[in-house]
Amino acid sequence: MPRIEWYAETLLRYAFVAAVIVGIMLLTYRGLVAVGVRRQTATGFALILPWFLGFLIWNLFPVAASLYLSLTNYNILQTPDFVGLANYDRLLNQDQQFWASLRLTMAYSAITVPLGLALALLAATLLNQGVRGVGLWRTLYYLPAVLPAFVTALLWRFMLLPTRSGLVNTATEPIWSLFGDNAPRWFLDPDTVLWGFVIMSFWGVFGANTVIMLAGLKNIPRDLYEAADVDGAGILPKFRHITLPQLTPTLFYLLIMGIIAGVQIFDIGLFVRVPRENFLNVYLYQQGFTFFNMGYASAIAWVMLVIILVLTLAVFRSSQAWVYYESEARR
Amino acid sequence: MHSGLMRIAGLTAAISLVATACASPGATPSRGAGASPTVAGASPTVTAAPPSQDAATPTQPAAQKVTYRLTTWAGEDESNELQELVLDEINASQSEFEIVHEPAPADYYTKLQTTLAGGTGADFMWLSQEYVAGYASRGALLDLTEPLKAIDSPAAAVDRYFPDVMSTALYQDHVYGLPWISQPVVLYYNPALFDAANIDYPDDTWDWDTFLTNAKALTKDTDGDGTPDQYGFSASGWPPVHMFIWQAGGDVISDDLKSSPIDSPEAIAGAEFYKSLIYNPECCPTEDTIAEQGFGEMFKAGTVAMFMGGASDTFESADGTVLDIGASVVPMGPTSRTTFAWTGSTVVNSTVENPELAVKALVALTDGIQHWKIVSPNMDLATKEVVTASLPDKWKDQKGPQVEAILASTSDMRSFNVIPRQQEWDDLFWREFQDKLYHDQGTAADLAAAARTQLEALLPE
Repeated sequence: MPRIEWYAETLLRYAFVAAVIVGIMLLTYRGLVAVGVRRQTATGFALILPWFLGFLIWNLFPVAASLYLSLTNYNILQTPDFVGLANYDRLLNQDQQFWASLRLTMAYSAITVPLGLALALLAATLLNQGVRGVGLWRTLYYLPAVLPAFVTALLWRFMLLPTRSGLVNTATEPIWSLFGDNAPRWFLDPDTVLWGFVIMSFWGVFGANTVIMLAGLKNIPRDLYEAADVDGAGILPKFRHITLPQLTPTLFYLLIMGIIAGVQIFDIGLFVRVPRENFLNVYLYQQGFTFFNMGYASAIAWVMLVIILVLTLAVFRSSQAWVYYESEARR
Repeated sequence: MHSGLMRIAGLTAAISLVATACASPGATPSRGAGASPTVAGASPTVTAAPPSQDAATPTQPAAQKVTYRLTTWAGEDESNELQELVLDEINASQSEFEIVHEPAPADYYTKLQTTLAGGTGADFMWLSQEYVAGYASRGALLDLTEPLKAIDSPAAAVDRYFPDVMSTALYQDHVYGLPWISQPVVLYYNPALFDAANIDYPDDTWDWDTFLTNAKALTKDTDGDGTPDQYGFSASGWPPVHMFIWQAGGDVISDDLKSSPIDSPEAIAGAEFYKSLIYNPECCPTEDTIAEQGFGEMFKAGTVAMFMGGASDTFESADGTVLDIGASVVPMGPTSRTTFAWTGSTVVNSTVENPELAVKALVALTDGIQHWKIVSPNMDLATKEVVTASLPDKWKDQKGPQVEAILASTSDMRSFNVIPRQQEWDDLFWREFQDKLYHDQGTAADLAAAARTQLEALLPE
């Protein structure tokens, strides 16, 4: 049974931390004033100190620590042993499961990110055509994105069952029969695992992207369309020359976020057991928390970071060619 | 400006206090008075024993008790039983210590690792058999070998445990845990389906051939749609293939932990027999059917006639009716009737304060659990009287007639030979051998030969 002294100690500890932070703020302020910094500036520095400390302790230190741990043999329970680049050597040259997981993850991202954007753009465009009750539709589209990932995963695992209980196979069986094929076994067959995950991904990403794109579409100045109407432009030219260029900043943002989320995909992979390799992040989790190889897991995390960084930089570099900012055009 | 800053600082502190006051009730109980013994030096933290509940009793000076934290994977029902049947009695009878239970039914091993790494691990922990060597080899567990010798209790007498079960709590011949359960796999059967097929119930005369023949005979297409809807047996990776390999005279990790002879003729024979069962629609549900209807659920629903499960498994229908289920020893293999025993141990955190008292508490705890769980790994408690007395009233009618088969199975039970990197080994054994074998990606001999080298690379040097 919980007892009051457990909570009292926790409360005292929290209060102590708060008092220490306030003390450091005051010392910082006085120290800066003492060395001649203006009082207004010193106050500013003192006030941002808690955030800065939080950044150092909760962001910078773990990032630096994981970089160090990636160079060690660390089993979580004992002191890490420095092994240099051995983890990276094993990862890149010997670990077939890493490459299989990476292939699955990259294939998943390569399919779901552009397809998700295209479908979201289509849905947002339809919703932007003066549909009645757009607020309701927007809510309905966004609803899946706020459901917990494990609920979505379990739901889709059930829907993609290979037998009579699987709603997807029950609905599509006549189509497969037309081609003389059996319905896919989805998560029970290594060849169809990827497509099972792709279908699952649209549930949340499609809806969230649609709402953001709809907001982007609403921000396109109406006078552009009116001017095009005067010039006699049809639907497709207007979409091609007004909607798409005006929407490129939104597409750019969603593309970057989609790439990051795609490479880091984790939750649906954790809740759906698959026959062979799983996503890279699930493999990382398995190495760190099931096999006690936290040093190796840290190396995987850094390789993932590099992959995300390279892809993001590539998109940024390419954005000059395809992202249109009206403010820059005016300059 | 200075006073303004002071006001802001004061406000920040006040908000922090309010926020922490609101947040703390949801926080995890931390080390301290109710946590592990943590007073500086060798003296453990002590707490006052609860005051007498008898209001008429004059107030007595509170006795000083050490509080030890126990973490387990027990769910709600099991936690309540543990508290009521074991811990309450221990805490009431002991004057030196009390044990506080902190169940963690979800994501148990991740929580265990992270709390140990963070220095907030519990004093006592439940570990399944495949984890003890790993935690011991990484220095997380207290060596119990010497402290146990000083305690006169049946639970401390390691030579009174079933040797194969006790071996799962050893690492390099040192004792790192006390097993509290040894569940041999037994063959459960549905008498109604046997009666309908006019087949005799399983018994100790059955061997692999009898088993497979009857499993096929019990597999039926009752509605005539061309696919079976009643099966003789069900396998899905459980029971572990190890059991059949052992019965054929083979092994997956040798007793000296130096080799993984999964490509021996005996091991191949065991794996091939398992392959003849799993997902074979002539006797067993396919993988798709199991995914749809559930592995254990099919037996409870009466669509599977035989099921291999742990000795303490209980069976009730979806509406809560206790089912009529029989039990037998598992069928005889080519060389033995060896059956797998799932084993759990309680281990002690290596950083526990006052280790002598902690081991004393561990022994009391183990003794209590061994009188609660079936089957006790202590040979002296693996008797019909003790097992029958341990059965909850709800299950007496079902489990009572099964006790003889359960106890008969204890003489043939064994556990895994466990290595520190057991989880990696298990994953590889599944991925490179079992999964491929069950999905027709090679013969048992070819797959075993290919996997052996990789498996042996994970064995201790």
